[in-house]
Amino acid sequence: MAEYKRASSILSTPSGFCPGCMHSTAIKIIAEAVDAVGQSETAMHILPVGCSTLNLAYWKGDMIGAAHGRASAVATGFKRCAPDRLVFAYQGDGDLAAIGLAEIMSAANRGENFTVIFANNQTYGMTGGQMAPTTLVGQKTTTCREGRNPESMGYPLKMCELISNLEAPYFVARYALNTPKGVIDARKGITKAFKYQLEGKGFTFIELLTNCPTNWKLSPLATIDYMNSNTIPYFVPGVYKDKGAQL
Amino acid sequence: MAKILMKGCEAVAEAAVRGGCRFFAGYPITPQNEIPEYLSWRLPEVGGAFVQGESEVASISMVYGASAGGTRAMTSSSGPGISLKAEGISYLSSTKLPAFIVNVSRGGPGLGSIQPAQQDYLQATKAMGHGGFRLMVFAPATVQEAVDIAYDAFEYAERDRNPVLMLMDGCLGAIMETVELPPMKDITGKETAAWNVKRYPGEKRSPRALTPVYPEMFLEYENKQRAKMYEAWQKNDVKVEEFMLGDAEYVVAAYGITARLAKEAILRLRAEGFRVGMIRPITLYPFPKKSFDGLDYSLVKGIIDIELAIPAQMRDDIALEVKDRAPIYEFGHSGGILMNDEDTYAQIKKIVTGGDK
Amino acid sequence: MKTTVVVSGSGGQGIMSIGTMLAQTAVSDGREATFLPEYGPEQRGGSAKCTVVIDDREIISPLAKKCDVFIAMNEQGYKKFIADLKADGILVYNSSRVTSEIKRTDITAVPVPADDICTELGSMKCANIVMIGALTAVSDIVTKDGFASHIEEKFAAKNPGLFKTDIEALEKGAEYGKKINS
Repeated sequence: MAEYKRASSILSTPSGFCPGCMHSTAIKIIAEAVDAVGQSETAMHILPVGCSTLNLAYWKGDMIGAAHGRASAVATGFKRCAPDRLVFAYQGDGDLAAIGLAEIMSAANRGENFTVIFANNQTYGMTGGQMAPTTLVGQKTTTCREGRNPESMGYPLKMCELISNLEAPYFVARYALNTPKGVIDARKGITKAFKYQLEGKGFTFIELLTNCPTNWKLSPLATIDYMNSNTIPYFVPGVYKDKGAQL
Repeated sequence: MAKILMKGCEAVAEAAVRGGCRFFAGYPITPQNEIPEYLSWRLPEVGGAFVQGESEVASISMVYGASAGGTRAMTSSSGPGISLKAEGISYLSSTKLPAFIVNVSRGGPGLGSIQPAQQDYLQATKAMGHGGFRLMVFAPATVQEAVDIAYDAFEYAERDRNPVLMLMDGCLGAIMETVELPPMKDITGKETAAWNVKRYPGEKRSPRALTPVYPEMFLEYENKQRAKMYEAWQKNDVKVEEFMLGDAEYVVAAYGITARLAKEAILRLRAEGFRVGMIRPITLYPFPKKSFDGLDYSLVKGIIDIELAIPAQMRDDIALEVKDRAPIYEFGHSGGILMNDEDTYAQIKKIVTGGDK
Repeated sequence: MKTTVVVSGSGGQGIMSIGTMLAQTAVSDGREATFLPEYGPEQRGGSAKCTVVIDDREIISPLAKKCDVFIAMNEQGYKKFIADLKADGILVYNSSRVTSEIKRTDITAVPVPADDICTELGSMKCANIVMIGALTAVSDIVTKDGFASHIEEKFAAKNPGLFKTDIEALEKGAEYGKKINS
């Protein structure tokens, strides 16, 4: 019988994320992927600004806190000087797709040899539910109370589609964390990205569709259905680019 | 070692490499492009890394990442770009990471002018970013002095675990002068520095987190520690050139290229019998307070602040020390107009002979 | 003795290389030198000026209003800076391009048809070397041999053809300079 153990990069501290938030699931599977590639002693976790800065309290491993949006730049500087380390940044949608858009696109375009994991929950969680670059059309937030109106606010940014259009990135994939299968696939995808990184293949990008029960003003269970009927049809899960599979 | 002719920016880049710099990230902006251009080929030669960042904002964060791994890292820019780097500089100070930053300054505000100016004094010495931290700020007047500062910048940065800023005007970046380059420093072992979050194969230790966010009590504690550090700088690290002050009735205050113009003018005025001297701050922060406070005000009839800035920016720091014991005059240009030897001489003479009263 | 040289003309005429070569030759000779370029934001064709200061001792100010030697490569540059040449100063000007009448009588004026000489030599790139050749004949801030050994060090191995033309240009320029001196 298989023994279920806590991943070695996770502390036993109870998570301070809101009840039902998928951040804790995301962090758990990242830690499992780190174990799967045998890098729990050496992995470098670049922290963003947002809810996931709270990883400071739950992650048992080396971390560098970046300025808002700059995780990819910090990872670039660190990895260039420490090419043997497994380096990953974990960023939310405001951090990555708004204030850090230049950093993520440029790091991806340079083919930097690290992994970026993007938690897309279509809102700014920590600051109280403002409109994010990924907020769906019609979705209500504290800065678009009548719902996102594309006429003045544009459309939600599809990061996997954008990044997979670049030449350099090696592996680009999106997973939804609202089903057990989605979670298992995501863990496999992250593990694959880490393996590619350790082989020196270059830039790998994993987008995780997550939720925000607090700011969506839905019960945790209702967010699962909401994702099925709203998020997933727009942000379609799948592997967008896998240069390794083409070989 | 023989003296060689070198351009200011390139000499600074080479001196930084010899001083142990192994990482540079930056973004093009005139008049400092020769620094990244030089380092783009020079750093790989010594096993270092060079990245042309997508912006100044990203570049300073790359420096932050490199420094977090224990690598001696630097960036350079000019006024508009330094403003963008302010974010990262604040984070470097917050996380107590060493770094070397060079501002080859130009006319401002805004895009201003690409010509030399000294209009970033206030930014450099008072508020290099949000959150009220300070940096040691060096202002060289010759290429040799810039080389010596760049060579030792990491020693200060690592001692204090705080970034070091060199503020040089565009003139000094573009000028070619004779310099003697120091030997390559041995930086073996420097990588295992205390702030280093990099882990080595087989190394057993607790994980390290470097974070720019602090619980309130810790933040206050850290800021108190910083306050002590600034006091220690004032006590131990002031660098200043005092020139012909002994019997001076008029004291010129100037730094960087302006001080060289002033010095030549002073030698001419001395030959004519006028008692003029000069205080040239080499560290703008810590400011050479004692040099100004300790003047013999029974002799001194006036302080003449000469800057490539309108209004003069160093004047406030001077005034705090002069304490109304002598009038302060100021003149200079701003926006990229350089003074010449004749103007400087004539302006000082006008004040000394009472023509300005 | 402190000597200030101003070189002016348009971008692409080798203004900066005249300056750096003069400074480099002086430094190779064991003297001190500073070279300060001034130019606009244009990469090509704008006006260009540089100031070289050469001295036996440490140079305090590299910025001077008045110069001892003025090398004018074109009309525009000549007009802009001729007033800054000291009395008894030396003007070496590219007479292929400076069309104004030289009115100042308190200076030594050396006309050098640098562009024409270049055409003769078959290389339009050596006008600046011709000017330096002429300068060596009328001033001792750098010697012809000192300058020749500097360009030999710089180009002889890398580009023997160019080096040969440069030496010819230097000699031609010196000949023009000597005509004035004799």
